[in-house]
Amino acid sequence: MDYRTLLAAVLGVGLGAVLIAAPEAILRAHTVGRVPGDRGGEYGSDGEPNEGIRRLVRVVGAALVLAGLYFGAVAVGAV
Amino acid sequence: MRHPSLTARMAVVGSILFAFYAVAAVVAMGAFGAPLWLVLVGSVLFVGVQYKVGKWAAIRSVGAEDMPEGQYQEIHRQVEALSEEMGIDKPRFMIARMGVPNAFAVGRKGAGTVVVSRELLATLDADEVEGVLAHELAHIANRDVVMMVLGQGIASIVAIVAQWAVLLTGDNEIADFFLAIVVGQLVQMLVMLFVMAISRYREYVADSDAAGAIGSGETLARALEKISRGNERAGESAVDEQVNALCIFGEERGLARLFATHPPMEKRIERLRS
Repeated sequence: MDYRTLLAAVLGVGLGAVLIAAPEAILRAHTVGRVPGDRGGEYGSDGEPNEGIRRLVRVVGAALVLAGLYFGAVAVGAV
Repeated sequence: MRHPSLTARMAVVGSILFAFYAVAAVVAMGAFGAPLWLVLVGSVLFVGVQYKVGKWAAIRSVGAEDMPEGQYQEIHRQVEALSEEMGIDKPRFMIARMGVPNAFAVGRKGAGTVVVSRELLATLDADEVEGVLAHELAHIANRDVVMMVLGQGIASIVAIVAQWAVLLTGDNEIADFFLAIVVGQLVQMLVMLFVMAISRYREYVADSDAAGAIGSGETLARALEKISRGNERAGESAVDEQVNALCIFGEERGLARLFATHPPMEKRIERLRS
């Protein structure tokens, strides 16, 4: 079994799940410190990304899950 | 203003970030044969560019313009008095139409900028605006913006190095490229977890400094309450998809909460009044 491919599969599915469940988490991990986090929303709260960006992150998350499942199948020799 | 609890927290988080950075620097030196001075200069340049571009982009993205002193005499007077009280130079003061009541600070001590929205000035009373201004000035006085840029810079550097380390140790197969991207993102998120945690605490500290500068936390608490209530009303009355989405996801839980830069509004109000 190729353990690197298996690791890619597990981490890919994990990251994809995070992106689907909490898209704002990855967005903030990239934007905080680059732009003021409180610039986009109401005062005293984190700016909420708009629904289009949220959807895009979820689509990327779904793609990561699918890619992870593919690499999982490759790692165990099913493909 | 001195904050022993913030200093202690910064020591812990700073050590963790330094450890991440040190590992990344050693890996970069080992993998690319780069001398230490090049790694250090490259890191400083990377963070410096992020700081400059971030400040410029933040002001430009909301279309902020300088707040005319003649038209907003009272606010300028408040900012001057608060800046003196906090021991900082009066920052550049700007106004913008943001669509919501908001204010933010960018820059550093001595070269700071505070932007307030016209909607904020229209929503709040003069003393509540003073509370908000004091909070933003406290961010500049405490170098919070610089700390966040530094934290993001370290997270990005560590993530890039992790990504390259995975790539260079692989067999150039498609799975290696995939693994490198995923590891880079996960490392970025891991490092930012610590940065976000300290950011939330820094909000409490800025609230406390604002309360100290104006003599009470009540006005800022009232301002937060008023904005929060206005937000809730907007959520109840509007029916479009965008607002519905905010209602579903607005209350942050779990992971989203771990990645929040601000503590929950009700906790801040409670602390300001305690």
